[in-house]
Amino acid sequence: MRKLLANRERRFNLLVTAALAVVSLLFVLPLYWTTVFATRTLSEVFQFPPPVWYGGNIVQNYFNIANVFPPFRPIWNSLIVAVPKTVGLVLVSALAGYGFARYTRAPGHRLLLVMTFATLFFPPSLALIPFFLQMSWFGWLNTFWPLIVPALASGFGVVWMYTYIGSTVPRELYEAAEMDGAKGLATFFFVVLPIIRPGLAALAVWTLISTWNDFQLPLVVLAEGSRFTVPLALTMLSTTHYSDMPAVMLATLMGLVPVFVLFALLSRQFIAGLTSGAVK
Amino acid sequence: MTRGPGGKSMTRIRRNGAFYVAIAPFLVIFLVFSVFPVVFSFYLGFNRWDGFSDPEFVGFANYAQALRDPVFQKAIGNTVYLWFWSTLVTVGLALVLAVLVNEYVLAGKTYFRMVFLLPLLVAPAIAAIILRVFFTSNGGLVNLLSGAVTGTPSYFDWLGSEAWIKPLVVLLVVWRWTGWHMIIFLAGLQAIPRDIYEAARMDGVGRWPIFSRITVPLLLPSLAFSIITATLGGLQMFDEPYVLTQGTGGTNNAATTLGMYLYATAFTQFNFGLGSAVSWYIFAAVVVFTVVYQAIVRRSQAGAAA
Repeated sequence: MRKLLANRERRFNLLVTAALAVVSLLFVLPLYWTTVFATRTLSEVFQFPPPVWYGGNIVQNYFNIANVFPPFRPIWNSLIVAVPKTVGLVLVSALAGYGFARYTRAPGHRLLLVMTFATLFFPPSLALIPFFLQMSWFGWLNTFWPLIVPALASGFGVVWMYTYIGSTVPRELYEAAEMDGAKGLATFFFVVLPIIRPGLAALAVWTLISTWNDFQLPLVVLAEGSRFTVPLALTMLSTTHYSDMPAVMLATLMGLVPVFVLFALLSRQFIAGLTSGAVK
Repeated sequence: MTRGPGGKSMTRIRRNGAFYVAIAPFLVIFLVFSVFPVVFSFYLGFNRWDGFSDPEFVGFANYAQALRDPVFQKAIGNTVYLWFWSTLVTVGLALVLAVLVNEYVLAGKTYFRMVFLLPLLVAPAIAAIILRVFFTSNGGLVNLLSGAVTGTPSYFDWLGSEAWIKPLVVLLVVWRWTGWHMIIFLAGLQAIPRDIYEAARMDGVGRWPIFSRITVPLLLPSLAFSIITATLGGLQMFDEPYVLTQGTGGTNNAATTLGMYLYATAFTQFNFGLGSAVSWYIFAAVVVFTVVYQAIVRRSQAGAAA
């Protein structure tokens, strides 16, 4: 009787695993087909049944994109925005998170912390229009500055680092550092930063990927095609040259590669980052 | 030097000087680029302004004008539709997948944790482009497939169809976000002590009662976090419908969201006052949803504890 039950349970588990495998393939299929289409000719893409394996037209497709814009330009633009923003955001957030986590008795601490948490519920669209006007007064429209400098102050990043530092850095460490004569900022740079490296990495990966994927803000502030970041350039290509599906798919693929490489290298930090928000 | 009544707090401030230094970079940038725009947006909402001439105070006219605009009314309906269905399907699917992976999968747990996350790496705008290619009327993959099944070539205009464009946006959101919610739920599931399940199974409790009576109630905090996040995103949805309809909002504004309406009023009609008023409506919606949802969660948690 018991063996029968165990057997039935095993069969159920096998069934579930198989079903999940099929569902997971459905999720990957659009990405797979993107890579296949990127290597095919236009007429092959229109065939039925559609090609399921790679073709040999990738070089021609590349030149078709190059006729519209330099194919690596948007990737370069996205890098110029994403890398400095990520480095700055992580540092600014870690510093503020450290301040909030350590100096809990400073006057104004509670109020400022509550305000920082409250920003998580402020929709970014609330600031979009005045932000655009502000950027035009600064003379920053059609430059990368609006995508980098204002983004350095991220309520999300500060809350993240505050939570992370609070749960990983023991308070005794601050006292010990103080006994050794280390001032507040020295403690941050030489004692706290080395300990919180995993938290920094997680926030960095999350920031890099979400910046890479940003669409609305670049759409509002960037005017010239030569400055377009990846999603903007691809949107432009897909509207003006929508009939050339293989070229659009290849350009799409090129824009995706950096993010997927990053994920392959740092998926553990990425996932750690996702769940850190939920565990509060 | 005299010691005023504030003398004590002055020394406390001085003793904690490093606190203010540490948060200063964040605070300064935040005040200039976030607080100021929000305050300014409040001012703009009560003015008529095209960005060039002098702003003209109009009271609540912008707020009233938005409410009367049939496109705005439609945008409210569309946003609620997209928020509701994308949240329901994404969270529901992610919950089922997470429980199945956690409880019943024999091999490849790491694979399942990773594979559903891949679409999240694809920018919403890029995902919309990929979806457009597959659903193109002439030669799109979906029409080719349906043509092969029915035997007659199909040229159905999915992206131009008023009935289909919203479900396509939902599909896009579900595809990108299911993995994220699944990871949240998996983390929540791992926090549930295993012996509760062992005990239930020993008592002969079936799979469905275990799921509905044990797993879901214990997963409420994760569910709350997940639904709130989906709601914040859903009420502000812009990238997906914008790129999917190439900025038009679809036939008869079938997929125009509040975010797109705001964008159009501000950046194609240069009506900054009306756009700002719309952004405050979005904010009000976010506040209402957050408060209502937190009240529900608190009550259900109190109920579960009792």
